Amino acid sequence: MSILQAVRRRWLRARLADPAYGFLFDPWPEEEVVSLDLETTGLDIRRDEIVALAAIRLRGNRILLSERFEAVVRPAVMPPPAAIKVHRLRHQDISTGPGMQDLLPDLLRFIGSRPLLGYYIDFDAGMLDRYVRDRLRTSLPNRRIEVSRLYHDRKYGGAPPGTVLDLRFATILRDLGIPNLGLHDAGTDALMAAMMYLQLRDLQRRGVRLRRGPRSGMGEIPTGA
Amino acid sequence: MQVAESFDAGNPPFDRLTQQEVEDIRAGADIGYFAPGDVIVAAGKPSGQLHVIIKGVVEVRQDGAMTALLRAGDSFDSRALVHGAAGEDFIAAEETLCHLVPRPAVTRLISRNAGFAAFFYAEVSRKLDALAGARRPDGFESVLRARVRDAQRGDSNVIDGGETIEAAGHRMRRVNANALFVRDGDRTGVVTGMNLSKAVVLRRLPLETPVRDVTHFDVVSIEAGDFLYEAILLMTRHDKRRLAVRREGRYVGFLEDIDILGLVAGNSQLIPGRIDRARGVEDLTVAARDIQAQVLRLHGQGVRIEAIAEITSDLNRRLLARLFELVAPPSVQSGGCLLLMGSEGRGEQTLRTDQDNGLLLATPVPEPDLAAFREAFTRALDDFGFPRCPGGVMVRNPLWSQTLDGFQRQLRGWVVDRSPEAAMNLAIFWDAAAVSGRGELLEQARMTLLTALRGEGALLAHFAQLVDTFAEPQVGLLGSLLASVGMNSDEVDIKRAGIFPLVHGVRTLAIGRGITAQPTALRIAALVEAGALDAALGRELVGALRVFMEFRLRAQLEAARRGTPGPDAAVRLGLLTSADRDILRDALRIVRQFREVIRSHYNLRGH
Repeated sequence: MSILQAVRRRWLRARLADPAYGFLFDPWPEEEVVSLDLETTGLDIRRDEIVALAAIRLRGNRILLSERFEAVVRPAVMPPPAAIKVHRLRHQDISTGPGMQDLLPDLLRFIGSRPLLGYYIDFDAGMLDRYVRDRLRTSLPNRRIEVSRLYHDRKYGGAPPGTVLDLRFATILRDLGIPNLGLHDAGTDALMAAMMYLQLRDLQRRGVRLRRGPRSGMGEIPTGA
Repeated sequence: MQVAESFDAGNPPFDRLTQQEVEDIRAGADIGYFAPGDVIVAAGKPSGQLHVIIKGVVEVRQDGAMTALLRAGDSFDSRALVHGAAGEDFIAAEETLCHLVPRPAVTRLISRNAGFAAFFYAEVSRKLDALAGARRPDGFESVLRARVRDAQRGDSNVIDGGETIEAAGHRMRRVNANALFVRDGDRTGVVTGMNLSKAVVLRRLPLETPVRDVTHFDVVSIEAGDFLYEAILLMTRHDKRRLAVRREGRYVGFLEDIDILGLVAGNSQLIPGRIDRARGVEDLTVAARDIQAQVLRLHGQGVRIEAIAEITSDLNRRLLARLFELVAPPSVQSGGCLLLMGSEGRGEQTLRTDQDNGLLLATPVPEPDLAAFREAFTRALDDFGFPRCPGGVMVRNPLWSQTLDGFQRQLRGWVVDRSPEAAMNLAIFWDAAAVSGRGELLEQARMTLLTALRGEGALLAHFAQLVDTFAEPQVGLLGSLLASVGMNSDEVDIKRAGIFPLVHGVRTLAIGRGITAQPTALRIAALVEAGALDAALGRELVGALRVFMEFRLRAQLEAARRGTPGPDAAVRLGLLTSADRDILRDALRIVRQFREVIRSHYNLRGH
């Protein structure tokens, strides 16, 4: 942890309004992270609302799918029709769920101080932060792990200038040979991001690079599985 | 939520679970990531979870040698999970993700769901039975769910009650029926051939007696649209072998017990008659086609592979025996014995096989007679669609059609000769079965061989060496890599990789013990009985042979459907379901194990 990060942590800790949430600042369990994904009414962190969320713990090389945290959330304002098309949650699905403030304590306890992992995790963590700030007067101190960043390093790190980057979710899946389980569902997206993370972290540890250029899907070429 | 979608319930053994059971598994399973080279399950070790591959490739290795490659949808390892120790190492070959289904969830399902439990059976034959039962919707049970109209043959033939019993008899013969409907005023009855015979023979009624006098009018009938099992119930209840069939208030014919049998077993009972009645080779060609169609039907009805092989071998023997009668000149017929060898000799034939046959003669016959017979017999088999034997084991080859004296000399020569060809010829002869003519000639030849072999332990080792004739099948990584880039096919030749080493290994042990039974299963039973083979391995070998025969028959049927003869036992791994691949893998593993047994038994060098 850099000095800057340590200072920021202390500052966030100092602002924490409710001491019951001090665990957010504890050291996190070795080798554990949480894959987080939210479905929202839109892409505006300040105004849009969470309609569904999923958090899945990872311990070592294991995705603890059997202990996942999943919920459909009742927003204060119902989502516009455009958002419904994306995540296919209808008014009747979400109008019965608990509100975000009801869910937050359980969610935070589930996440604890573990690093948060996701695809464009800044959006999901930032979204969640808004609810956290309302309640605790501070921000989530959790480290963030960006899978598209890990992918970028394995794939494009040291690439010549002008290389066209493709960091789309579906591209990463294909490149890693991970089956697409169906997009735009919080649980599925969180799971797929977790799978990406384990594989990318392993490639990183072994110093293996993903091949650039056409048809680099390493899972699909040799065996046709 | 759709996390559930990540669990593909379309693959065995999960395809046999109810929706609720799948949900239970989904709820309890984690996911594991394995880097290339990670040993996921080690041989000899238990496993706390069943692994179901989501993506990646897992190598299965036995003593370091790759025996199989598992991919998405495949599961492992049932042995480690249920029997406490994995039989092989399971090693990630690529970046691999697996569902981890905890052991308690699996054991719960095993106790609850028989189809699922079958996957975890240790013995391949039990597994095969369970899978065959699950796969085939058109087994015996579904036959009983067929309709009466599907089984009923022939038309409704009506005679007036005033006609004589003599007229009724002639009518029956003309329409080739055993029963007629009798209309007598407002009522309709049934008269059978048996009724007519009894009237004339037992009651001595004159032939002019009106048929109504011997007709019974308490007709037991069934609707054409009713289920067959209802017909069977009705027959049992009324102790009748024949029911009148009604449709829209009219009698449209009869349903006999034999018709139901015909639907269950195809028309196997009709083919022998056709063979016996054949007046020429052309008639037999038709019968040969019938046999093939019969195999297709039996297989479609889910008849066990051994039963198919038995029926088919029996029919083919009849076919060849009749052909022998038709084309052999009197000199050959009176002094000769027609032999069948190879799978036909062992009674393990599934569809048609090569022309593996021979002829033994008590005394020399005129050369022109013999030449004419060799030519006519071989050409007829060509017409039947039996491919010629690539090794030339045919009556056409003078080596395989000669006098007993000459052949006995030949056998002794082969025993002394140390070449693989000679060993192979002896092996082929060991499977011979006499189908027609003087069977004692074969017995004498066999005794000659047994005597010559006494004290020839070295020869048996030579013999045993042939189990390694064909290289191990490439079900490993290299094979599938090459296949996927189109450099090699992913075909496994079932005959070379499975049937041959198994049959030959058993044959070698059988010769060593002087066991003369031909079918491999009987040889195995005799070897186990004699203490020459471990009972459990014996059971596994019988199961593995069934697996190979089943796959081979499927390949043959597929080739016949496409109209492309060619290699008849090639199985494309890529086209198999993962349940089938699992079974085949088990069967090939048993063959590997058996080869090891043979090698160490005869002190052969390993590979």
